[in-house]
Formats: sequence, structure tokens, C-alpha cells
Amino acid sequence: MSNATAAAAPRRRSDGWRWTGRVYLVVLLAFAILPMLWMVLTSIKTQFAALQYPPEWWPSNPTISQYTTLLDPTSDVGREFLTYLWNSVWVSTITTILGVIVAVPAAYAFSRFRFPGRRWLFYAVLLRNMFPAVVFLIPLFIMMRWLHLVNTQWSLVLTYLTFGLPLSIWLLKGFYDNIPVQLEQAARIDGATRFKAFILVVMPLSSPGIIATAIYSFIVSWNEYVYALTFLNDQSKLTLPVGLQRFFTEYTTNWPGLMAASFIMSVPVVVMFLVLQKYFVKALTEGAVKS
Amino acid sequence: MAIATSQPQAPGLPRRANVVRRMVLHWADYLYILPALAVMLLVIGYPVYYTIYLSFFRTPPDLSMDQKIFNGGANYAVVLKSSSFRDVTINTLIWTVFSTVFSFVLGLGAALALNREFVGRGIVRGLLLIPYVISAVAASYVWRWIYHSDYGVIGALGAQLNLSHGPVNILDNTHTVLGALIVVNVWKEFPFAMIMMLAGLQTVPDQLHRAAMVDGAGTWDRFWHVTMPHLKGVTLVTVLLMIVSNLNGFTIPWIMTGGGPAGASDLWITQVYQLAFGRIAFGTASAYSVILFIIMMVLGYFYVRALGGKDDEASE
Repeated sequence: MSNATAAAAPRRRSDGWRWTGRVYLVVLLAFAILPMLWMVLTSIKTQFAALQYPPEWWPSNPTISQYTTLLDPTSDVGREFLTYLWNSVWVSTITTILGVIVAVPAAYAFSRFRFPGRRWLFYAVLLRNMFPAVVFLIPLFIMMRWLHLVNTQWSLVLTYLTFGLPLSIWLLKGFYDNIPVQLEQAARIDGATRFKAFILVVMPLSSPGIIATAIYSFIVSWNEYVYALTFLNDQSKLTLPVGLQRFFTEYTTNWPGLMAASFIMSVPVVVMFLVLQKYFVKALTEGAVKS
Repeated sequence: MAIATSQPQAPGLPRRANVVRRMVLHWADYLYILPALAVMLLVIGYPVYYTIYLSFFRTPPDLSMDQKIFNGGANYAVVLKSSSFRDVTINTLIWTVFSTVFSFVLGLGAALALNREFVGRGIVRGLLLIPYVISAVAASYVWRWIYHSDYGVIGALGAQLNLSHGPVNILDNTHTVLGALIVVNVWKEFPFAMIMMLAGLQTVPDQLHRAAMVDGAGTWDRFWHVTMPHLKGVTLVTVLLMIVSNLNGFTIPWIMTGGGPAGASDLWITQVYQLAFGRIAFGTASAYSVILFIIMMVLGYFYVRALGGKDDEASE
């Protein structure tokens, strides 16, 4: 009613909102983090300690034996696990590199050139996000059989390429749109060809975008499960997500071992993500929030 | 007609000839997109065509595709008339709607709370994003262990808080299994909504907020009348992407329950997989896929409109 209360009220109210926000964040953090904490805690228990009811909330005899077994190339389990790990690294790395090589020129063309049909092609590329992986499994499986790629990791590389591509092209196009054409024109006046101007001027300027798309491709390939499950059956070819399942069924439910394997599998992507968070967030949100 | 359009480089030429001439003129431009286009056509264009084609055939179980028999729409009839179709559809709707709504609400809340400066904001944001980054496979095993019928934490916590009498069986119970899977899915997905909405919030101009504050608008009013209208586009894109990814959500239900018990957590997508690679009925599975595909395309249309409209105005 009076001026005094009207001035005081908003401040008190916004303090209330601020505290609501903080409490909410704490609860949400607990929801997000506790399951992962439980994974780590379980992984340093002995098998006996893990199968207790009520559970040991804090391991009484912490041990890293699960990790040493998994990473020991002389043990059977270790050899198998390290093979899966290596396969995952190989597939994800090759996919990422090829993805950049394919996406960069395409994004550049979509940004700079005015060829007919470019908008339609662009939307077609974007629509990839809408296609369900499982719907494509059947024809792709038949196609890979026909190409003799079933049970090779190239089938995965080829398929994974298309996951990252639409986003990479979209994101990089945004970058190229913001790089002034005059820069290239200056280079070309100095005698550079269009290709050379692209490699020497445009590429370096778009490196943040390239990093962002590379991380995205790597993480998506690293985590992919459905295609790897279907295309590979030779044990020596499996990637980690499918390999993990074999552990689960073959060695009668060694939960600490499984949790340790899950942890090792999560470490590369989480570290990569935390270090390059800025780029990854950009990769996710770019496009949807272009102002 | 051609003269009336304001295309400067096309005076009087018929439109079609013009396009061809420009395509020839620009032939080198297509080289840049050729690799991307080739990969996309091979891995997406061809499968789309082949799925539709295959959905009209009965395929032999040994996958010798030259022995398949055309059977018209029989596969579609089998799918739509099957006794499980109704239940699976209901499961899929529950799974998709609840996952999307909860992820979005949790994510939006987090985005609003993170949208003001405070010490450690970057760390909190990073920690909240981790579930989204780690693999769905690892997440599924971790949660399967948390839900474990004998040694699971949930049961033990329940007992400690006097909510239950000891271990509870969550994943083997037809009433609780779908809800339990939705919790895992929300855990994995809310960070995506959070990061999208946070990016959206950062485009809301500060002046608008200050102007509204001067006019005496409270926090809630400002949220509802200033912030939300600004976020309409992002919200639409985010929700659409989440609906699609939930309809495609295969890994979590497959690893945690495989659709069980008694089909209580069976979704369209796990059904398709079972039909194709469990029962080797590729024709029927293809028909199922086409039905799914049509739904996706309708959503895809809205997605392109939500994204493309803005882009057109900006660039042209």
C-alpha cells in the first residue's frame, strides 16, 4: 500500500526465489551425482562386501583389485576388456576424424555458395536427427552384409559418421556465416586460390567449431550401443558398450567388476567433457537458440 | 509470372531452365558437399527406401532376401492387429510423455536457478551435465544395481526410512517397472533440457527485465510474461528433440529389463528389435518401423519449421 512496503517487498520476494533455487539445485545435484557415487563405491568393494543386506554404505575394506584385474593384460578378463577398450578408442577416433573431413567442406559450401537446392539439402541433412536408430537397423544390417562389412568396425564407422554429420554441418555453417567474406577476398587478391584461402584463412578461424563438433562425434560414437550390438558378433571386434554386456552374462554378475568397468568406460568422455565443456555446450545448443 | 518475382538474375527465363543453368554454373560447389551427401544417402536414403519396400514382403528367416514373397499390406495388418500392439502403444505413450515432461520441468528449473551468477556455478553446471554425457549402457547397469531386488540401495533406503520391510523388487514388478525406467531416463535426459533452456535464457535481454521491474512486475510475472515468451522457440525445439529421442529410447529398457516382465516395459522400439533380430521377421519389423517412421516425419516437419523459420529470416 505505502511506498515503503512496495520497495521492500520485491527484495524479500526475490531472496525467497534465490533460496528456492539453491535448495532445488542441491536436491538435483544429489539426484544426478549419487548414482555415480554408488557406482564408484561399489567398484572398490570386494564381491562379498557388495552382496550384503543392508549394504555397506561405505566400503569397510576398500580394494582396487577390480581395476587392476580389468587393466591387466595378462589375465583373461583384462585381455578381453582391453580389447574392447582399444576397439572403442579406434572406432571413435576414426569416426571423429573422418567426420570433420567430410563436414567442413559441406558446411562451408552451405554457408558460402548459392547453388540451387542448397536449402533442401540442408534440411534433409538436419532431418537425420529425427530418424530412429532401430528403424534403420534392418536395412543397414542387410546392406552391411551385402557390402561384407558385417562384423567389421568399418560398418560402425560408416554408420556413426551420420550421427555427427548433421550437427557438425549445422554448427560449422553458423561459424562460417560469421566469418567475413572480405577476409577470403583479401587472400584471393593476394593470389590464393579459393581452396587455399579456405584452408589458410577460414579453417583456423573456425577451429572452435571444429573442436566442438569433434567432441560431440567422439562422445556419441563412444557411447553408441544398438548398432554395435547388431553389427558385431566376433568377440575380438566388440566395442565397450556391447562388451560390458558380455561381462555381465558370462561372469555371473560380478557387480563390483561391472561397476569398475562402467567407471573406466565413463572416464574418458567425462574428462573430455569437463575439460572442453564450453565447446560441447555450444555444440548442443547452437542452432536451437540462434538469436 | 517470372517477371513478377524479384529474382534479379532471372529476367524472363523459364524457371526450370534457369535452375538447370545455375546448377551447371555451380557444379564445383556440389563437390564440397558430395562426401557428406554420399554418406547420408548410403546410410539414410537407401535404408528409408528399403524399409518401406521390405514392409510389403514376407521375408524368410534365413535372411536370403531373394526368396522374399510380396504380401501386400499383410505385415501392417499383423502389426496393428497383434494383441500386444495396444499395450505397447500405451507403454510407449506413458514412457514418452512422462520422460519428456519431467525432464523438461527439472531442466527448466535448473536452468532458471543457474541463470544468475554465484560462486561455483560452472562446477554445478558441469556436474549436472555428467549424466547426459556418460553412456546409456553404463547408466543402465548402475541403475540396475541400484534397483537390485536383493542388494539394491533403493530397497535398503526404504527399509531404513521405514517405508518398506526390506529389499523391494522394482524391476520385476509389472506395476513399478515402467516408472523405474522413466526415472532413469529422466536422470539421463534432464541435463539436455537444462543446457538448452539455459542457452535460451541467456538470449533474454536484461533491459526487458529491468523495464518490467520498474513497472512493478514480480518475479513470477516477469518469468511468465517476459522470459517465457522469449523461450518459445527453444522450448519447441527442445521438447521435439526430447520426444524423438524418447521414442527412440532403446538402450535403457533393453539393458535393464528387455521389455519385461510380461511386456510391462515393452516399447515400440524394443518390439521392433525383438521382431527383427529375435524372431527374424524382417518384413513385419519393417512395417512396424514404417509406422514409427511416419510419426517421426510428422514431428520432423515441425522441427524443421521451428528451426528453419528463424534461419530463413536471418539469412535471406
